[in-house]
Amino acid sequence: MKSAILRFRVMAIISGIMSLLLWFVYMPAKYLINDPDLHSKVIWIPMVHGYLYPIYILTAISFATKARWPIMKMLALILAGTLPVTSLIAERRVVRRYS
Amino acid sequence: MTLPTSSTLATRIAQGSAVVLLAALFFSLGVWQLDRAAALKAGFVTATTVDEKIVPLESITSVRISIPPTAINRMVTASGRYVAGFKAPNQVDGTGKVDDWEVALLRIGANQGILVVRGLWSDRLLNPDIQAAIDIAGQLRARQDSDHVENSPGVISRLDSAVIVGLTELDLFDGYIIASSESQNGSEIIRTRLMPEKLTSRIPGFYWQHLSYVVIWWLMALVVLYLPFYRRRVAP
Repeated sequence: MKSAILRFRVMAIISGIMSLLLWFVYMPAKYLINDPDLHSKVIWIPMVHGYLYPIYILTAISFATKARWPIMKMLALILAGTLPVTSLIAERRVVRRYS
Repeated sequence: MTLPTSSTLATRIAQGSAVVLLAALFFSLGVWQLDRAAALKAGFVTATTVDEKIVPLESITSVRISIPPTAINRMVTASGRYVAGFKAPNQVDGTGKVDDWEVALLRIGANQGILVVRGLWSDRLLNPDIQAAIDIAGQLRARQDSDHVENSPGVISRLDSAVIVGLTELDLFDGYIIASSESQNGSEIIRTRLMPEKLTSRIPGFYWQHLSYVVIWWLMALVVLYLPFYRRRVAP
């Protein structure tokens, strides 16, 4: 259980940071600022986020399975990785409840 | 052990159908992203291949459409008259040298036009008489997507016909030609020609982004299939 929590915590923090970068750096660069140079400099953000999010999902499922969470709670945990800050909030709640 | 009632059986069938439908939907989304990645890769491979056979411009592309991937980097010929000239600052040639280029709008026929890179801006006065009909040959390139300077009168911010669409009544071809030769009345116009920027085989970032979406969608499909077997908390 401890290692599942640790894995989830690491990926929740990384996913949270990547979501923040995606929403507040990449999205404005692509849709608000018409600067292709800037866009080409931040194109790595959605790519890295795209490859890290599946790992986050796997760690979330692993943790939720071991904690025997209800399905809806597990799905909420999975979706938390798509919004900025929410995976960080989820990580804090898990630490408070299971540490 | 008790047999399931008809209502629980119906519920299970409905749940099973929903799971299969959702999984199929996620799988299809993954296949769609995979197709997009494959199309992007195929287009990029085409764009990094140079076919040296010279063909008329109008035989491989048309005005008012995006340049077909198969037409990019083809050697083309075109005939017409230059009707406008622009300075294209801060352009990079095949040797990596940054310089200002002379770009002209070539009118082809009655109402078609394409941008032509003639040479260095500093050489523009070598052949000032460019009003007569002219035949050119050169490489057709995809439009640039980033500005090199601010747009101003007589200056073109990037080599893209969209930048000058408001300045002319002509129907414009997408992309531009880097002229390797120009001739008037059969005599070659001598001036320094620019080497096109080298083509690299690096696969652009969007390709890997599409592949990451494939991974996510298919993983979602697996998660949905896993849900019916998920061990829920049992109430004490």
